[in-house]
Amino acid sequence: MSPVRIIYTLGFFFILFVVQESAVSLVHFPISGFSLYLALAISLIAFEDHNGAIVTGFLAGIVLDLSPTSNAPFGQWALILTSVAFLFAVNRDSIADVTSSPITFVIVVAGGVTLALIAYLCFGALLGEENGSLGHDATVLGGNLLWTVIFTPMFLPALRKAHEYSLTARER
Amino acid sequence: MARGGGNRSRLLLVILLVTALFFITLDLRGVSLTKGSRSVTQTILSPVQRTVSTIFSPVGRFFGDVKNFGKTNAELTQALAANKLLKSKLAANSDSKGQLAQLKAVLDLAGRGNYKVAAARVIARGSASSFSQTITIDAGSSSGIRSNMTVISQNGLVGVVKSTTSSTAIVMLMSDPSFKVGVRIARSQSVGVLSGLGSTEYSLVLLDPSGTIKTGDILLTNGSEGNRPFVPGVPVGVVVGADNSAASLTQTATVNSYANLNDLGVVSVVLSAPTTAPSRPLLPTPNPTVTVYVTPTPSPVLSPTPSASPTKKK
Repeated sequence: MSPVRIIYTLGFFFILFVVQESAVSLVHFPISGFSLYLALAISLIAFEDHNGAIVTGFLAGIVLDLSPTSNAPFGQWALILTSVAFLFAVNRDSIADVTSSPITFVIVVAGGVTLALIAYLCFGALLGEENGSLGHDATVLGGNLLWTVIFTPMFLPALRKAHEYSLTARER
Repeated sequence: MARGGGNRSRLLLVILLVTALFFITLDLRGVSLTKGSRSVTQTILSPVQRTVSTIFSPVGRFFGDVKNFGKTNAELTQALAANKLLKSKLAANSDSKGQLAQLKAVLDLAGRGNYKVAAARVIARGSASSFSQTITIDAGSSSGIRSNMTVISQNGLVGVVKSTTSSTAIVMLMSDPSFKVGVRIARSQSVGVLSGLGSTEYSLVLLDPSGTIKTGDILLTNGSEGNRPFVPGVPVGVVVGADNSAASLTQTATVNSYANLNDLGVVSVVLSAPTTAPSRPLLPTPNPTVTVYVTPTPSPVLSPTPSASPTKKK
């Protein structure tokens, strides 16, 4: 991943973070909430190659760690999203090209978001964070899964074009 | 993947994971760099959140009302445009009215407790990317708000100030899983600890193992030293289910809060409180409870007073 793309990606994640914290979080979703940030971050990770996915995961995590509402220590999201990105990177060849089929892509993104949230919960529990009752956590996970499945197809074409546009001639 | 590429990927992964762990360690050891970065983010975010909240509040309600787009008749289009404008104004007005009503009610509660408060509007809710439950309010340290101050709504306790900037503050809601507050039962004055569970229900653990909890018991804040983080006497909630089994070492109960945390428009931060607890509890009517008043009709057989025994007419 070139330095220019790292700057682009950081800028993109920061704008996305502002949108998530100031607009998306104001919407009262019927079942829990929706993290547009996580859905787009996992989608972008799925588009990237091995090294690109890992760096994108780390950058997405670092920006998400800036959230002033978070109780977790700074760096926890970076650790989680880097690990999830690595899982994507090593398994993407075995599950074929996920970007070629929209349905597969949506399932993979929704699964990735849920996996990231579960990993966040587990790591938080190891650090002694209070994460609420099992029922509440299940509702948050289920709600995020549902809304990710519903909303991902809406932004997928635009994200694909934006990603292709950001690639350098060598990366294409 | 080529061997060289695989090694590079693994090296990159290890470097980034170690970096993340380094940040976590710094944060857990209380290094101000990481805390400061979140404070800077809040400062940057707050004007955006305030603007978006101002725009989004009436528009959010308006979305539900707008129907019948796509009509071809010019007159109808004109009428719809006028209607849209009026509805938008109406939505904005009803939003303002709702906020005014909440502000009046919360100031009323604060006035009864002789609390000095700073009123603030809720401009954002906690991110869905984490499991913490917070709100952001549009008043900060310039209004005298500091961390660890009690936040109340018209019905009672809402939470506690977690962090502040000059113009905003983040409030940890009482439903947050890490939230704990000392409470006392109004009936028996028994003291316990109320914990958030991340949902609309709360868990109460009584400190006195011989104490009893009854369904319907009203809970008030017990207060903290120097009135921070909690001032005494603020209504917290009502017991909806008590577990008084003899086998358990502690008495526990399930509690519903007085404040509806999903419907917060205006809240107040208690800046100072009287040194003594309010002489009488500040008990609002719980929101979900419908009170039905029944006037008993005089009966020739039974006396309405519970102390009198039924008498037979001879």
